[in-house]
Amino acid sequence: MTLLIGLIVVLVAFSLLRAFLPEQKFVPVTLALLAAAVLVGLHYEDLARVEFWAGTIGFVAILSALLIVMHPNPMVSVLFLILNLFCVALFYLLLQAEFLAVLQVIIYAGAIMVLFVFVVMLLNLRAEETLRAATALQRWGALALGIVFAGVLFWAIQNRADRPFFQPETFKQGFGTARDLGWLLFTKYVFAFEAASVLLVAAMVGAVMLAKRRLD
Amino acid sequence: MDGGLQRVIVEASIKIGVVFGVIMTTIAYMTWVERRVSAWIQDRRGPNRVGPFGLLQPLADGIKFMFKEAIVPAQAHRAIYLLAPAILFVPAMITFSVVPFGPPIRAFGFEIPLQIAAVDNGVLIILAFSSMSVYGIALAGWASNNKYSLMGGLRSSAQMISYELAMGIALVGVLMSAGSLRLTDIVAYQAAHGWNVLWQLPGFLIFMTAAFAETNRLPFDLPEAETELVAGYHTEYSGMRFSMFYMAEYANMITASALAATLYFGGYHVPGLHLLRLSETLAAIVQVLAFALKVGFFLFVYVWVRWTLPRFRYDQLMNLGWKMLLPAGLVHLMWVAFIILMGWA
Repeated sequence: MTLLIGLIVVLVAFSLLRAFLPEQKFVPVTLALLAAAVLVGLHYEDLARVEFWAGTIGFVAILSALLIVMHPNPMVSVLFLILNLFCVALFYLLLQAEFLAVLQVIIYAGAIMVLFVFVVMLLNLRAEETLRAATALQRWGALALGIVFAGVLFWAIQNRADRPFFQPETFKQGFGTARDLGWLLFTKYVFAFEAASVLLVAAMVGAVMLAKRRLD
Repeated sequence: MDGGLQRVIVEASIKIGVVFGVIMTTIAYMTWVERRVSAWIQDRRGPNRVGPFGLLQPLADGIKFMFKEAIVPAQAHRAIYLLAPAILFVPAMITFSVVPFGPPIRAFGFEIPLQIAAVDNGVLIILAFSSMSVYGIALAGWASNNKYSLMGGLRSSAQMISYELAMGIALVGVLMSAGSLRLTDIVAYQAAHGWNVLWQLPGFLIFMTAAFAETNRLPFDLPEAETELVAGYHTEYSGMRFSMFYMAEYANMITASALAATLYFGGYHVPGLHLLRLSETLAAIVQVLAFALKVGFFLFVYVWVRWTLPRFRYDQLMNLGWKMLLPAGLVHLMWVAFIILMGWA
């Protein structure tokens, strides 16, 4: 974990340098890159550790999730949401679910988020004028729910603390491949799979019917 | 930790370096090829002043681009505006990492696959990253704060989503015949059973059409459409960032050509090569050259089509994608399934 902590320290130091010396452009970047390179060179064996990658991806995921909510520009928020979905895909990779990871990128980051970008571009929201006007109830409610959620998360992590995070040796051969997943979808879960597809078609037809009053 | 990790890092770095260099050089010379071939098709001379046959023209262009002023429009969203060319260029390069450009070779006592990332879900990774390139165009259009750019970006996002479907449907045929998502397995299947194009010609045509749309090349370059939208999504760009859009376009073309060669034309497979009884290294070199030749042919097709067909109208583009390519792809899928079911493939 030395490498991860070191890189985060470098990142924080870099942000501080940029914040206090805004006129300096190249010195902080060069220093940060040099420090990162030295760190990687000294602790390169960390690169093969799953904990290092889990920590790095988790750090980026949390940072991007915070920026989705806090950034005033909707387009930037959408971009951080894409980054966040990439982090989720990388988590799937760490859990040996390769196929799921690629599907996550194709469907969420590749297809659904394009529609988000499309809508934000069409509406051309400059800033979140309307969204700032939250009522007191919404604010205190959000705070209360946030505390409850944090409690649940803390409880879940405490409950699992004795179990190791990652045991690839307990997975059976072919876990997470397209063949395995397809087999399960068309045998054990075939009803749920077909029901979901019918639901999606119904939703699609319904959307077209609502949007297009005159069908000619 | 033994030497395994170091070996992986060194091997990957060398392969990435070589492939990156080859692709960048090809990109540079594709601009020259495009201009020379267009001149040839239109009975002109084309760039022939810088070096013999104008061969140093890409170098001169590169120097010119670097010394041009990089302008950021006053009302543009600066960060996204500066980032957009990179968002377009990087996925184009990443996609090539899963393409096998030669058979595994033995060197220094190791077996080295001639492929940067020998992953199980190669075909899906290609689809995943080729769908990323839409963000580059859409964001460039949006961040420029220009009506024409915005129109180009909007068109691009709708176009890419539409043609991804057709491309995916065409690819399913290849996956079904090879029974694997690995590109090396697909090449091996074609080496054993004949190239896919021989019995999946409709699939190949659908794939190529969709690839033209995904790379924003004529006849589908509607995000750019200089007769309607000035220069579409990159109207406001100048200097090196402008040239990065072109580099991304050519990188996408190279990847699409490599895919067409790999999925339908046997990849690095050369029919009858084993009859010559070449040594393993020599055979590998011949196969890599054969792959380069196939990719080069498709790159030429790209240029050839561009200077032959006029641009589609936007409604024609949508009709072609949704009402022709998609149903045709589904019918073709039935045909492939039927052939496999009868055991003819």
